Amino acid sequence: MDRVGELNPRPHREVVVATTVVDHSALKVNQTGIVATVLVAFIGSAFGRPFLVLLPLLAVVLLVGTFAPQWALFKQLYFRILKPSGIVKPRPVQDRPEPHNFAQGMGGVVVAVASLFVFAPLLTGDFRTSPTLGIGLALSLLVAVLAFVNLAFGYCLGCQIYYRLGRAGLIRA
Amino acid sequence: MNPQLWALAAAGVVVLAAACLERFRAARARRRAVGATAAPAGEPYILYFTGESCTVCRTHQEPALAKLGPVRIDKVDAIEERGLAERFHVYTLPTTVVMSTAGSALHINYGYAPAPKLERQLAEARSLPAGATATA
Repeated sequence: MDRVGELNPRPHREVVVATTVVDHSALKVNQTGIVATVLVAFIGSAFGRPFLVLLPLLAVVLLVGTFAPQWALFKQLYFRILKPSGIVKPRPVQDRPEPHNFAQGMGGVVVAVASLFVFAPLLTGDFRTSPTLGIGLALSLLVAVLAFVNLAFGYCLGCQIYYRLGRAGLIRA
Repeated sequence: MNPQLWALAAAGVVVLAAACLERFRAARARRRAVGATAAPAGEPYILYFTGESCTVCRTHQEPALAKLGPVRIDKVDAIEERGLAERFHVYTLPTTVVMSTAGSALHINYGYAPAPKLERQLAEARSLPAGATATA
């Protein structure tokens, strides 16, 4: 009988497993932060334009966190406050951090592009009727939807793209 | 039109299109794969396709499989065993296939399949007479 974790002894049935451990609670807090920030920016933008500043700020947080994890705001919030105080329990899973970092970076790039679309009307001066504002908001909403899908169902589109690019030899995955 | 409504509608259309595409892909793959065969066994069993890149496999699917009663589970690396994965049209991970005793695929779940769903499918597989094959 071949139970889960007890692989079929034939060598071609072996599944390569990650040797590092990733705390998935940190990822969940990160995803929650992304969803919350985009929602506040989106809903707030209906009442006041200053809320839209949250989008470029989020892009900076995501991009900086990708290249310097010690500066990843939401993850640091988890590691320094939520985890020590016991508000969020750790959930270590055998996994690799690189795909998640890549996904975060992708999210950061899309939010940065969204921010460009959102703030492009400042150049023309017509903030209310510019169609680019809607495009920017739509892009940031898609990032929030993908973060929510990852949060709720564990499906990480950015990670899939990372592995596909790796398989195609475009990045070293 | 209000830019917020416009953005909501655009994002909604993209999400809806992605969901429809996923349903279509799953239905087409299932249609092609149901009835595909692997080794026969004394009892219905599960082919569990996974891989290194599959985090959902470790966080969701394996705990669900561990909840099942005594059943044989063949864990297959979809990348290493591409031939077997292609036979069952595995396009996403995890994929679980409930196999009949005759060794033909009765149910194919693309994506995470919770334990109660797998239990139901296994119960159905056990209720079939030996040698029966899938019809849908």
